[in-house]
Formats: sequence, C-alpha cells, structure tokens
Amino acid sequence: MSAVPSSPAAPVDDGRPKPVPGAARDRRLKLAALRLALLVALLAIWQVASLGAPPFVLPSPMRVWEAWTALVASPTFWKDLGVTFERIVTGFALAAVFGVAIGLILGASKTLGEFFEPVLTLITTVSSAIWAIFALIWFGLSNWTTIFVVFMTAMPLILTTVWQGTRTVNADFVELARTFRMSQAQVLAKIYLPTILPLFFSSARLAFGFGARVSLVAETLGASSGVGVRLKQAADLLQTDQVFAWTLTLVALMLALEALVLKPLEARLFRWKKQAEAS
Amino acid sequence: MSVVKVQSVSKWFPRRDGESLHVLQNIDLDVPEKAIVAIVGASGCGKSTLLNIIAGLVKPDRGCVFLNGVKASDFEDWRSLTYMFQEDRLLPWRTAAQNVAFGLEAAGVARPERRERVAETLALVGLSGFADAYPHELSGGMRSRVALARSLVTRPSILLMDEPFSKLDPSIRTQMHDEVLRIKELMGMTIVFVTHDVEEAVVLADKVVVLNPRPGRVRETQEIRLPYPRDPLSPDVAEQARLLRRSL
Ligand SMILES: Nc1ncnc2c1ncn2[C@@H]1O[C@H](COP(=O)(O)OP(=O)(O)OP(=O)(O)O)[C@@H](O)[C@H]1O
Ligand SMILES: [Mg+2]
Repeated sequence: MSAVPSSPAAPVDDGRPKPVPGAARDRRLKLAALRLALLVALLAIWQVASLGAPPFVLPSPMRVWEAWTALVASPTFWKDLGVTFERIVTGFALAAVFGVAIGLILGASKTLGEFFEPVLTLITTVSSAIWAIFALIWFGLSNWTTIFVVFMTAMPLILTTVWQGTRTVNADFVELARTFRMSQAQVLAKIYLPTILPLFFSSARLAFGFGARVSLVAETLGASSGVGVRLKQAADLLQTDQVFAWTLTLVALMLALEALVLKPLEARLFRWKKQAEAS
Repeated sequence: MSVVKVQSVSKWFPRRDGESLHVLQNIDLDVPEKAIVAIVGASGCGKSTLLNIIAGLVKPDRGCVFLNGVKASDFEDWRSLTYMFQEDRLLPWRTAAQNVAFGLEAAGVARPERRERVAETLALVGLSGFADAYPHELSGGMRSRVALARSLVTRPSILLMDEPFSKLDPSIRTQMHDEVLRIKELMGMTIVFVTHDVEEAVVLADKVVVLNPRPGRVRETQEIRLPYPRDPLSPDVAEQARLLRRSL
C-alpha cells in the first residue's frame, strides 16, 4: 500500500476559482479605526489645550464648529471659496499646459534644452512671495495677481518633471514609431506623453498643493475677495475661530479632492501598470 | 525583380576610443518577390545592423539599398515595409488591440476601419480572446503574436524580422514558424528573416545567407529546395543545417 495519505484539511485544487480572501477588507477596517482614533485623540488634545488659553489664541473645538456653521451660512462664503478655487484652477491649468508643452519641446530638442536650462533655474529660485509682489505691481488688485503667482509656482515644477521624464523615454519605442513613419507630433503624443504621464501626475499633484497654498498669500496681498482676504480680515480682528474655520474648510476640500478626483483618476489612468503582488 | 536589393553595402560604427568598428563589408543581397530569405550568423556579426539599413533606420557608409527597384533615398512607400524587432517592443500602456492598432494610427486609418482590421489581424494570429489584455498579462509567446500582428495589420509587402522568436521555447517557436508560413501564404509578402539558429533558417527560408563576423560579410548563399511544410526533425533539414553550419 503506497497510497499517499491526504489530510482532509489540505485544500484541493478542484479547478474552481479561488474565493477572494477577506484580508483586504479587514485591513481597510483596521485602517479606518486607526484614523478615527487619531481624530478623536487630536480633538481631545485640542479641547484640553484650549481650556488653558484665551479664545483668541486657541479657540475650543466647539467654538470653531459654531464659527464654521455661521461661516457656511454667511452669504459670501461660497463666493469667496469659488473665487479662490477659480484662481487656483486657472493658474494650475495654465501651468499644466505650458509646463507639459515646454517640457516636451525642451526634452525633444537637446539644443533648446541646454539653451533654456538657466532660465528654469532662475525661475525656480525666485520665491513665491517675490512673484506675489511683482504680480501686485504688474496686475494690481485683480484675479491675475493670484493666478500669476499660482502659475509661477506650479509651472516650473511640472516643466522640470516633464523635461526629466523625456529622458526616460525608451529609444526603442521611438525607433518603432519611426519604422511606421510617424510624424514628430505623433511620436510626442503616442510615445513621449504616455511615458511621462505617471511622473506628470505626481508632480501635478504636488504643484496643485503648492499653488493652493501660495494662492492664499497672494490673495492677502493682491485681491479684494477670496479666502485669503477673509483670512487676513479675521486675523486683523483677532477672530481666531474664523481663521480655524477657514483652515478646516480648506483641509477638508483638499482631502475630498484627493479621495474623489485624484485617486480614482490615477487608478483609471494607470490600469496598465503591473501591480506588485501585495505580501 | 528583386523586392529588396542590397548592393555592396559597408558600415562602420564610431567607437569611443576614436577608432571605428567595421561592422559590414561589401554586403550583397537579393530578395526575390514573395521569397523568404534568412540571414544567419553569429552574435555581433551585424545582422540587426543590416536589417536597420534595409529599413532605412541606419544609413550605409558605402553602397546602397533598392526597394522594389527604387533607390532607398527615393523610395516613398515606406509604410509597405514593416519591421519586427529582436525585442517585442509592445507599449506597456496599451492593450494588445491598441498595440496592434499602432501602425494603423500612423497611416491615418479611420477608427471604425482600424477596429475591424485589428480584430481581423488578432484573429489571424490566434489571439482574439486577448484584445483587452495588457502586455504584462501575456505570456512570451502571446507577446510575440501581438508584435507579429502589429507588423501585419498594415498589410505590408515587405516584412523584416529580427530573431523574433529567439526567446521562446522550442515547441512554441515551431508553432510560430507554422503561423508565419501560413500567413505568408495568405498575404503573399516578402520576408527577410534574421536568426542565429540554422535549423530555424532551413525550416523557413527559400534562401539562406550566411554572414561571417568582424567585419560582417557574406560567406555563403544556399538555396533550400525542400517542400513546405518542413519538419525540423527530418533528416533533410538536418543535412541542410549541417552543410550550412560548416560555413558559420
Ligand atoms: N549604434 C551603434 N553604435 C555603435 N556600435 C554599434 C551600434 N549598433 C551595433 N553596433 C555594433 O555593431 C556590431 C554588430 O551589431 P548587430 O546588433 O548588428 O549584431 P547582430 O548580428 O544583430 O547580433 P545579435 O545576434 O547579438 O543580435 C556589434 O559589435 C555592435 O556592438
Ligand atoms: Mg541583433
């Protein structure tokens, strides 16, 4: 008798699809619990700290909540938010278009790249605050002041990444396109662009964050409406609870943007990537 | 008339030490219409360089290439020639179907016709069920088939193939040979096939050209008159391969 004893617990491959293990869901639940605990802890620390400080230094969570509900109900809230958002998006969109186009062109032509490299260094070393002052001189109290500052902050970031990304383009793919006699524009659109898209995406995310932050500074200097202006007014009047309320609004908006727009978009765009097997 | 004619082509590549590397010396090659010509030679003897010169990707330093009797510099119908590279060069961000469509996009074929021809060509290489798979989801053999489909979808009259199956295991390679012969019968193109495997050359080609290395030059040209399909294990094939191997 040489039959191999098979233990009844040993899983047999019967050719049917393997059931998906619940491990992934368990991990997500655990993460959600951790996040919740962190939130509660932060609120508790905030509450305790606010007991020992006057409200204009550190308002209590409850007071901020009340200020926030009043803020949302106020007639100018959505207008201010909308105006700021519009400036950020305009500046960012212009930065993305110019950053990608110029980055691709500089990457595709070595001579142009070497010629313009110092200009890029110059732009990146100038601080956003200085751009804000220039913008104020050039555009005065208008939307373009903020848009310009967002643009000058975001554009070099995107441009640099795209430009560097063009160096990672696989020469074999370009040669393949050449055997099909593709035009230079087609090569840029069909080989270069998909190659740099993942890099572009991560730099655009960074650039949008920077742009959003400097936009507030720009608005305090060179605008008559928008979140930055309201923040400055609240600070001048020592309405610290208002400042907190605006801050929380902005943080919540950025988180929502990340979860509702960027994450799903990223998942869709980069479906083709090989997923590293989770261990 | 020969579809591809290479006339005393020589090629040097510059080396880093300032010298130049003599890669090809006085190469003559004649590829008759609807023939399969195999080029065999050791690694580094300039086979890929020769194909690159035929494809117009590399300029020869001496000599010239004629395509359909027209000098390469005056040739216009480059889209009737396709090139299957030594690596499959599938674009990782495109599905199998989108990779196959690549060549048609260059030629400006409209979307509905593109879809139809891609489906047709995927069926031709036996990959209908995998149109939406990304390259990393395909096996080596399937990737070769996608690359082959991409070279066929534009219905070329000249197909250049550079060791396209060298990384596949022998049984799948034999399958691919059958596919190539079947498709060639169907579409009637002219094929230049580069390999370092003498048996592969004998199984596929009407004519085998043996290159010797450093610098690459034609050592011997051998017509293969065995009837198709040729069994790679048959004594006739083995005998032809033995004769050719002597001059390698
Ligand atoms: N662009 C290039 N610049 C300089 N040297 C090159 C270039 N391309 C090829 N060579 C050299 O030319 C020689 C022939 O190369 P080639 O790729 O044509 O050989 P091959 O016969 O295709 O080899 P294999 O069978 O390994 O693919 C090699 O020594 C290689 O190093
Ligand atoms: Mg080679």
